[in-house]
Amino acid sequence: MAESADFDAVVVGAGPAGSSAALALARAGRSVVMVERGPFPGSKNVYGGVVYGRVLDDIIPAWWSEVPVERWVVRRSTMMMTEDQSLAIDYRSHAWGVAPYNGMTTVRSHFDSWLAGKATEAGARLVTSTVATGLVRDGAGRVIGVRTDRDGAELHAPVVIACDGVNSLLAKEAGLLPHAEASHYTLGVKEVLDLPAEVINDRFGVRGHEGVDIEILGCTRGIPGGGFLYTNAETVSIGVVASLPHLSDAKVRPEELIADLKAHPSIAPLLRGATLREYAAHLIPEGGYDTMPPLATDGMLVAGDSAAMTLAAGLWLEGVNFAIGSGYAAGRAADRAVTAGDCSARGLASYRADLEQQFVLADHKRLRKAPALVLSERIQQRYPGLLCDLAEGMFTVTNPSPKAGGLRITRAAAAKHGVKLRELAADTLRGLRIFG
Amino acid sequence: MSEPGAADGGIGAADGSLPLGGDTSPAKALAWRGISFEERMASVDFRVGGRAHITVDSDVCRSCTTRGCVTACPANLFAPTSDGGILFNYEECFECGACYMVCNHEGAITWTYPDGGHGVVFHHG
Amino acid sequence: MSMSHPVPTAPLVVACLRVTDLRPEVDLLTGSVRRDRLGVGLSAPDASALEHALRIAEAWSGRVLAVAAGPRSVETVLRDAVALGASVLRIPWDDDGSDHGFAAELAGDEQSLARAIGAALVPFGTPDLVVCGDRSVDRGTGALPAFLAHELHAAQALGLVALSPGAADGTSRRVLDAERRLDAGWREQLVVPLPAVCSVEGAGVRLRRAPLSGVLAAESAVIPTSALPPRPAAGTGRGTGPVLVGATRVFTPRTRVLPAPESPDPRIRLLALTGALVAHDPPTVVGPVGAAEAADALLDFLVRHGYLEEPPVAGSPTGAGDR
Repeated sequence: MAESADFDAVVVGAGPAGSSAALALARAGRSVVMVERGPFPGSKNVYGGVVYGRVLDDIIPAWWSEVPVERWVVRRSTMMMTEDQSLAIDYRSHAWGVAPYNGMTTVRSHFDSWLAGKATEAGARLVTSTVATGLVRDGAGRVIGVRTDRDGAELHAPVVIACDGVNSLLAKEAGLLPHAEASHYTLGVKEVLDLPAEVINDRFGVRGHEGVDIEILGCTRGIPGGGFLYTNAETVSIGVVASLPHLSDAKVRPEELIADLKAHPSIAPLLRGATLREYAAHLIPEGGYDTMPPLATDGMLVAGDSAAMTLAAGLWLEGVNFAIGSGYAAGRAADRAVTAGDCSARGLASYRADLEQQFVLADHKRLRKAPALVLSERIQQRYPGLLCDLAEGMFTVTNPSPKAGGLRITRAAAAKHGVKLRELAADTLRGLRIFG
Repeated sequence: MSEPGAADGGIGAADGSLPLGGDTSPAKALAWRGISFEERMASVDFRVGGRAHITVDSDVCRSCTTRGCVTACPANLFAPTSDGGILFNYEECFECGACYMVCNHEGAITWTYPDGGHGVVFHHG
Repeated sequence: MSMSHPVPTAPLVVACLRVTDLRPEVDLLTGSVRRDRLGVGLSAPDASALEHALRIAEAWSGRVLAVAAGPRSVETVLRDAVALGASVLRIPWDDDGSDHGFAAELAGDEQSLARAIGAALVPFGTPDLVVCGDRSVDRGTGALPAFLAHELHAAQALGLVALSPGAADGTSRRVLDAERRLDAGWREQLVVPLPAVCSVEGAGVRLRRAPLSGVLAAESAVIPTSALPPRPAAGTGRGTGPVLVGATRVFTPRTRVLPAPESPDPRIRLLALTGALVAHDPPTVVGPVGAAEAADALLDFLVRHGYLEEPPVAGSPTGAGDR
């Protein structure tokens, strides 16, 4: 008989979802333990951009005065590029640079450790360097705990909250997620590059703790995906996200895509002299609402990346905020279920209802068709070039020839990239329906 | 080999005195590719455990024509062997899951997490 | 010391751990070292030292005490030792009271550190064995075990690849069997008397994993801290204080003018340049002699060949490092 310990809830994973769930439970006076497989929270985690803090307002008042921040994002740029052109929409806001702030860049090892610290301060227990290797079920098949890789010792609780990340082996074991469905996932690769703070400030036009987030389309050799570049305090992060099945079909190695992006004439000057600090890779669940697993089964809830709660909808790229929102809601639902003495799927159903009321599922549901559109062939392969050519046609001075009309330029650009005006209009309408 | 990009004036050029167009020539652009894969991987903290957390059944791989794992693995850990199999090294694994996701042969890749505390540790993720 | 009467308590095995960021980042331009408390861990030799301590204490039915010097960030590692059933002790060293400080350079003053550790161990009784990670092959100067052996009046054995409780030599006296690497694949087997300070390489054993119950208990355990060790005032006392390094300069060997080889045959000239056909001094075999004579012979050699200008004053403990 393996040794075991009993709790009100077991949370697997001490990332943003797990720590938020544990925080909610600990605040409700529940005994809760987080099982983290890395040596410290955040050690297995990689993200591609920005943590949006609004979700923290209610959970940790004035979080911005203590959070480990790299820079507050005041410039958000969406860039489309071809091999030698780029067109960017660059938004800058003074308001984003003052409290309560909109979004920030951070380092996950610091951010996740901070959030886990909030949970342990509230009374949650944290066990690191320990893998939850499988579910423990009772005779009726209900989940009643997890098995660990410490001599098979078990942690028992009426509720297990699986926040074990994108590969969620627990959600797979519970039959909530398919074993492997590559088309629902993208591979993100990222380089963190050293650059002195003053150099970052000069090149990106910011000062102090201000930061920049650039999202890029058209930099992945036609493989559905995108790129990103954002500023940290004394490093910049550059990376590429690529659809897993397309990447593997294209026989392109992921680091080649980063090398392409770094060499682009619009990007290379920003990075000159920067040296590699750390290379990283991680999967991203980008299938959206329609690929989400059932969020509850008897004795178990799923939150964060395990529940595919990453919003990769072109203009919006969010994940950590969804993890925090869903994790906290899962923690509260687990507390209610334990109080009511019913931790069956029905007893835990208030979790989903709660998420539907707030941004977590509302955003995903509203943008459910966005991933397909954003990763579609025309958006990925034709529109970046079309739009760049459009801009080139508009802004190239052709003296002594007279300027061409807008429609003529559009026709020419569309024809060059094999897009019919009818398709352009249809996609515009489709986009308006999804995003409008 | 240090990264060629770092040697061309590097941080000293941060005063912006050089025109931005100065380093967009093809030669300079290629310089960015100068980092070797080994150097790239050396930037990552791997706390290698004693157990191989991923195993590959080379017999299954011999019948595979796509070999998606070979290019998709960001750590380049899947090496085709001359007898048609796949040689796998678990030590420098990002634990991302790309390999078993793209693998279309049931049972070829057995994928688990490394023992607690081992495996990749991201410091700047 | 206590040979005349039976030891009242179980044997004490101390694992003396050096806790540091295992992957410090070095700025190639300035040489400044950046350490991160999240990188804190045990190096392979130190993990091996802890495992050896646990095994030997088990064999002797003894106690294990894991000590580490440093600020509060070393508690992570001591907590892991608690989970394995060891008692622990932190010696506040380079401790600025914050949670984020870091023991920047333990190797700076290893004699004082050894004294602090020796003093901190007094309440626990005289250790029968202190196991350290072999730092000379890892980082640091490797001098701490020697200083520690001096403080504890113990025997010292370093560079060990194996360490186990030895077969008693007909008496009830405990000894240790140890093994260390020599050149050319040779091994040396040692019988180490007690008390002893042994430093082990990160080889042969792997640190065990703590049981879940141990980890849960250790998570909220209070890590005992020894009294603040006295810091020696610089330049006072018996040669204590960090080893001082004088101004460094680039080493430029003196140039020697060599006549060009004279021969019409390029091959002969080449051979002459490489020195392949020139007779050399054969290797000098000194010994077997005692340690003092061997040291004298080495110093003689260095003086004879111009590496040392004058023999250092005998008996000065850190004399060689002062200039």
